[in-house]
Amino acid sequence: MGLWTLLKSGLILDIYFFKNNRAQLVSMFAWPYILLVLMLGMGFLFGSAETFKSNVGVEADPVVFFVASTLIAMASMSVMWEVGGTVLFHRWTGTLPYMLIAPYRISVTLVMSYIPRYLLWSFMQLAEFVPVLIWREGLVGGLADALVMGLAIVIGMLPLLGFAAIFGSFLLTIKEETNVLSWLNPIVLILSGAFYPAYLFPLWARFLSMILPTTYTFELARISSLLGAPKLAEMTFLIAVLLGMSIFYNALSFTLMGKAEKKALKSGAV
Amino acid sequence: MKEEVVTVENLRKSYETYLRRGLFARERKIVEALKGVSFRIYRGEVFGLLGPNGAGKTTTVKILSTLLLPDSGVATVLGYDVVKEAVEVRRRIGVSLTVEKGFFWKLTGRENLMYFGMLYGLDGPELKQRVQRMLELVGLEELGSSDKLYEEYSLGMKARLSIARALLTDPELLILDEPTLGLDPPSARLLRELLIRVAHEEGKTVLITTHNMFEAEIVCDRLAIINKGTIVAMDTVDGLKRLVSEDITLEMLVVLPAKVSLKQLREEISEVVSGRVEVDPTEEGTRIRVVMKPSEKEQATQEMLRKLHSMGCSVRRIEVKEPTLEDVFIELTGGK
Ligand SMILES: Nc1ncnc2c1ncn2[C@@H]1O[C@H](COP(=O)(O)OP(=O)(O)O)[C@@H](O)[C@H]1O
Ligand SMILES: [Mg+2]
Repeated sequence: MGLWTLLKSGLILDIYFFKNNRAQLVSMFAWPYILLVLMLGMGFLFGSAETFKSNVGVEADPVVFFVASTLIAMASMSVMWEVGGTVLFHRWTGTLPYMLIAPYRISVTLVMSYIPRYLLWSFMQLAEFVPVLIWREGLVGGLADALVMGLAIVIGMLPLLGFAAIFGSFLLTIKEETNVLSWLNPIVLILSGAFYPAYLFPLWARFLSMILPTTYTFELARISSLLGAPKLAEMTFLIAVLLGMSIFYNALSFTLMGKAEKKALKSGAV
Repeated sequence: MKEEVVTVENLRKSYETYLRRGLFARERKIVEALKGVSFRIYRGEVFGLLGPNGAGKTTTVKILSTLLLPDSGVATVLGYDVVKEAVEVRRRIGVSLTVEKGFFWKLTGRENLMYFGMLYGLDGPELKQRVQRMLELVGLEELGSSDKLYEEYSLGMKARLSIARALLTDPELLILDEPTLGLDPPSARLLRELLIRVAHEEGKTVLITTHNMFEAEIVCDRLAIINKGTIVAMDTVDGLKRLVSEDITLEMLVVLPAKVSLKQLREEISEVVSGRVEVDPTEEGTRIRVVMKPSEKEQATQEMLRKLHSMGCSVRRIEVKEPTLEDVFIELTGGK
């Protein structure tokens, strides 16, 4: 009951924001395509679709591959920014204390009020790409691709919420307004194989890549771009890994967030 | 038996800060913000925490609002411990901290209240009605500002919206940290009137902090004076004034008819009042100063006036000098 209104509060805040800032809404819709064109452009700059396939090392449709990458990159950046960075945002607007006196644990308030906005915007961006997917793969194939990407958006969100909340709790404890996310985010994206395949990395980076939830989310989304191969077994495997990571990261973040909350309330950082 | 809404017992809090010494070196410094503060607030009263900047008012307010953990001591709100039962406390309080921020700039006043209402667990038609009622109560509706963006609000409007949010969940206890800070005098007056009305009409228990003695005097039923982390006095406004001096000084300027001598005048007046009587000639006329007990104020004044009248004196000016809260404050905080 209470949690449901908490979820709704997050949604309503977004609706109000965009209602009052139409220009931002337009750029929000244009953004995925801008990013896609950029990524595709760079991709084709280095050669034809054939060279792309040999570069990436998979039999995939490059356009669908980049759609999946763009989508997941945007979605996971959004989680990192908004769950992790929300503490900074509220501190800056002066709303942080009023968020914290909501009758829930701080981590619950921060994460729950964010979920609807994530789902709303991620699915809106996915919907924007559906015509592109249908153009590449036909009606049935395109919709099936969208379905897999949608799944990746939802399942990929679960571990990432906990992962991002860890950084949120860190930001809660420091009084200064340094945003570690501005340099952390690109690193996470690179390590998850958003731009280069992970096997090109040095060993230590490959290890980091393995423990990042986003790595598996990218994989899951990109399955949709594979040509003809049997995907079900691999999908099940990736989903299982992501669910396992959800439990791990959320439990970890719940503990850390509790500690951070105590520390912040003790030091007067709120 | 009066019901205790807030119980604060021997609260202590220190902050750890670092002073920069060059580029990397820094020096650890401990600031003792509260040095054992205790007080109680009873149901239905407006309790003021009066003190200069840095006295520890905000620190106390934050501890009671569950936004800061004390180092030691106990604070409870309606029987719930602010540390161990923070969520229960949060359900029962309405809080307003710095009034100049704390809302979303790109949302209207109404949208802001809708959002925070939901965050605090209200929903549906109940939420809508409650938001509307609060906007009316604090006068934003009357100003036509409910649906204006917060970024267009004047400081006075922001302060009103902050009070509206604090009242949104119909809490039993309102905690307001310097709600008139920075407001121009007319806005501050309106806000004070609003606070008094809310406290009485809505039957709220209120904790309000201020560094403004005039404000404390007109808004609060009871006051604690806090200075450097310690409560130096606590009583009703009248009670506090009695701390400095029990007595009231009455000063009059009269014109004597030729037949009455100064000595005669003093003797006549001394018959009706118990305290010291001074009579001095001045350029404007004769000045009479009488010191009396608060209890005899009314009767003695009337009898004096009757006496003066029967002697044929005409009264030019009359002035009652009661000690002000400022006198109390200066005496207790050692002049500042
Ligand atoms: N977060 C903080 N970190 C370090 N020192 C603080 C902090 N908050 C307040 N102080 C210090 O604690 C003392 C009391 O502050 P405060 O409670 O804000 O006083 P008031 O609200 O009465 O002006 C002051 O000396 C202030 O500088
Ligand atoms: Mg203060």
